[in-house]
Amino acid sequence: MALRELKVCLLGDTGVGKSSIVWRFVEDSFDPNINPTIGASFMTKTVQHQNELHKFLIWDTAGQERFRALAPMYYRGSAAAIIVYDITKEDSFQTLKNWVKELRQHGPPNIVVAIAGNKCDISDAREVPEKDAKDYADSIHAIFVETSAKNAININEVFIEISKRIPVADAVAETPGRGFKLGRQASESRRMCC
Amino acid sequence: MAVHSPVNGTKSIPWRGRSRRRLSLVEQIRSCQEAWCPGAPWDRDRAHAAVHGTAAGSFLIVCDSSTSRPGLLCVCTGEQDGEVLDFMIRCTDTVFQLSQSHLCFSDLAQLVLFYSLTRDVLPVCLSVPPWVHSVNEMNGDHLEPSELCVFVFFLFVGFLYKTKQSPVYFLPVVGMWLISEQEAEGGTHREPVNVMCSTLLTSTNGALCVINPLYLREHEDEWLIPRAASQQSPMQMSVLRRERRLSTTRSWAGSALRKNRSVSMDGEPTASSSENSGVISSTSDDPSLLTDDGVVLRRLSKESAMSIGHSTESLSLSFPPTSGSSTPELQRHNSPVPQSPHRVSWIEDGIWLPPPRLSSPLHLPSLELDSLSVSSIEEEQEPQMQNHGCNHPSAHRLAGKVMHRLSAVGQALGGLVSQKKKLTNRVVELSERKDGAFAESVKDFLDLVLKKGANPNGVMGSEFLQEVRSMLTSLRETLFDYPEILAILEGFTDLNESEIDSLVEVSLHKVTLKPVSTHIYTCIHTSRTSDGTLDYLQSNQCALQLNAVDELGGSADVGIPDSVTLERIQQKWTSMHETYSPNKKVQIMLKVCKSIYHSMTANTSSVKVFGADDFLPCLTWVLLRSDLITLQIDTDYMMELLDPTQLQGEGGYYLTTLYAALFYISSFRPRLATRQLSVEAQQSLNQWHRRRTLHYNQSRQNKNRRTIRGQGRSSVNSSTKTAEGGSDECQQQKEDDSSTDALHTLREEPQRVRTQTPDHQPETTLNAMDRAKGDTHSFHTTGTEEREEDL
Repeated sequence: MALRELKVCLLGDTGVGKSSIVWRFVEDSFDPNINPTIGASFMTKTVQHQNELHKFLIWDTAGQERFRALAPMYYRGSAAAIIVYDITKEDSFQTLKNWVKELRQHGPPNIVVAIAGNKCDISDAREVPEKDAKDYADSIHAIFVETSAKNAININEVFIEISKRIPVADAVAETPGRGFKLGRQASESRRMCC
Repeated sequence: MAVHSPVNGTKSIPWRGRSRRRLSLVEQIRSCQEAWCPGAPWDRDRAHAAVHGTAAGSFLIVCDSSTSRPGLLCVCTGEQDGEVLDFMIRCTDTVFQLSQSHLCFSDLAQLVLFYSLTRDVLPVCLSVPPWVHSVNEMNGDHLEPSELCVFVFFLFVGFLYKTKQSPVYFLPVVGMWLISEQEAEGGTHREPVNVMCSTLLTSTNGALCVINPLYLREHEDEWLIPRAASQQSPMQMSVLRRERRLSTTRSWAGSALRKNRSVSMDGEPTASSSENSGVISSTSDDPSLLTDDGVVLRRLSKESAMSIGHSTESLSLSFPPTSGSSTPELQRHNSPVPQSPHRVSWIEDGIWLPPPRLSSPLHLPSLELDSLSVSSIEEEQEPQMQNHGCNHPSAHRLAGKVMHRLSAVGQALGGLVSQKKKLTNRVVELSERKDGAFAESVKDFLDLVLKKGANPNGVMGSEFLQEVRSMLTSLRETLFDYPEILAILEGFTDLNESEIDSLVEVSLHKVTLKPVSTHIYTCIHTSRTSDGTLDYLQSNQCALQLNAVDELGGSADVGIPDSVTLERIQQKWTSMHETYSPNKKVQIMLKVCKSIYHSMTANTSSVKVFGADDFLPCLTWVLLRSDLITLQIDTDYMMELLDPTQLQGEGGYYLTTLYAALFYISSFRPRLATRQLSVEAQQSLNQWHRRRTLHYNQSRQNKNRRTIRGQGRSSVNSSTKTAEGGSDECQQQKEDDSSTDALHTLREEPQRVRTQTPDHQPETTLNAMDRAKGDTHSFHTTGTEEREEDL
């Protein structure tokens, strides 16, 4: 089965639960062959999608305003971006919209965008109506889910949806999120000429 | 013969040839068992007294008083106080083992022999005195323990030499490396399971054989099929290489070998059935079984073979039970290429018997199997090395045939490191080969890099580094054209494509980057100085250094490294700078990141998950306490010279974060922090200021002259000169005292020129100082605004 490495970048305000989402996603995977990662800011998890294995390389970013200028270093070469906001904080949803704009302008072409409204477990304090967010996501053709890292709601679904939207391997050659294999074959053919 | 115990698996081994009365070492050891395992009257205390203060490795085994079975191994560590350590021996009807070890032996002599060759859990190897070597059945029965000790003490070194040079066959050992099935599966059940060790394979050239059952389980016997790499044409090699390249499974080596087998053993459907059955044996004196590579195939007694088969079977279904049908199988295998019965690495006795240094007994682990670099033997098996000649013809022939096995087993035994070293050595060799294509390319590379940087108008900064990077890539690709490199790479069966690439990449660094790394550092330094980064790093370091992690953006409750950890991190940064390979630099950087992460979670009461929101500020906090200039250089070095395919993973992530943190520091706008400039910042500003001041002084002199002209001529002129000299001196002194002053002197100078008279000078300076507090800020802001434009 072909293994493809997919770089996924996490964006969103500080405190919206980016790392918790990843932690939740990765925690139930137990693969003794893979060394545990250093910390929650970079994590990997491999899932099967149809007849491919997708190894997600999840790059967390610092969400503070002061580090905003650093984000391009992180989302460069990403196959997908998960933009997280906190449903109890209207501001974080506005920040999300800015991220979408920035990705449009400077992000990799064809990047798969997923919007995650986190902390749906405390909907009493909700400030962002689900419908507004859903409509916005539809308007930009993004994946949309409301998640709860705390209660493990919809976490896997985000990644499943991303897997579905990643172009199939043959067509993916030109996108930045390509697997290693294609690159290898290219160099291989070069070697065969000699 | 009488000394053989009933449990001895070697009882019926016919290799004590009919004509020869010489005993193998294990028999010799066994035959004088009374000397080292004296039995009843001897207890622990007496054994300690006898062994105490003797040479390292001197030992006695005392029996348990109640069971009369061997119970305790007392070993002298050979340290100054002559300390004697005890090791419990666990023994059942069928096995002997040290209780701390999982290695089991079918008799005590085998255990002793094994531990005389490799120490396993012991602090030192057991030492077997030389006279044991000359023991025959007649004289072995009447030895006193004290005698043994004395011999051990005086003649240990002689023993090794004598054995090495003596023509008799020397008994090698097969130890099964013991990892239980559960451990192998990485499951939760971690109860160790002991596996029987078989110690009775031998060959005329005295090989030491080690089997890793895990390896067998994984690869069965595919790798056993002899395939002399030296006989392979480069064409075949590149075919293999291509196969490997296209293959995604881990078992590519196996399939390659299987393919090979089908060449050499066409039409043999059950070729591996006998090989799966533990240790295979045959009669040594049967000429038909004396293989042409000098290996004498031994037959294990049936019960021994059965017991091994049984024990392995219970652990792993991949070993069919031994049926005793091995000999016919083996004969079938005899042609065209003889099958060695050993799933082993071969280690020539000449290699594993160097005299140990008695002066430092704890150095003895160099005799350990693991640390016996398999590669040192493989050197002989390299096609190239063979040209240099080898004194040992049989070893020579053997060498070519077992080469691939060595590679495979070498890795299984943890010889990965030595394999890597070997690869590097081979690359170095290629780079030194006269008229070689690779050597030429390396030379071109070095010339080009050195020339590029030397030319001040040449390509600088990242473009230069990117050029270096692409040259490295093409050099790496060149290496894949060399059969000898491919041959080594075949040993790395468990690595995927990109891992193999990175392995080759790293091996390349010694010949390419090592000679030019300092030069590249200088280039980066120049480039980063000219774009102002280094200056900003330094000034902002001072501005930010006092900030706590939460002021840098992190959570207030996140842990930070304590002073000890911080000190360790500094050492790691230093060693990172000393390393020339970008890959190794990344490894060191990851260690730093790991220790920062550890501090984040260990030094806090919070239980929340710390992600990038906190890691970046923490890393920044650490960086502010480090040598930022060097770190910037190293970061650029890694960022540009690392193989781009390595940049997506964990190394890439943390490298990006390091780069980002440095960028954050260098581009920080210290509007709020400037009022309190630290001493360092003042000094650096002072430097900057002095250059300008000198320049300004010159122009001021001109102005002075003009002004003087307006006043009375000669007298005023001379007094002005004096005053000016005085004011310069004064100014200089002030600069030394305080850069803030100096800074303001700069700003005030136009005024001072206007005021002119020497009498006013002190007053002017005072004015300047008054203004100092406000102006530092404005000055600094000017600097950063320029920077903003750059950005």
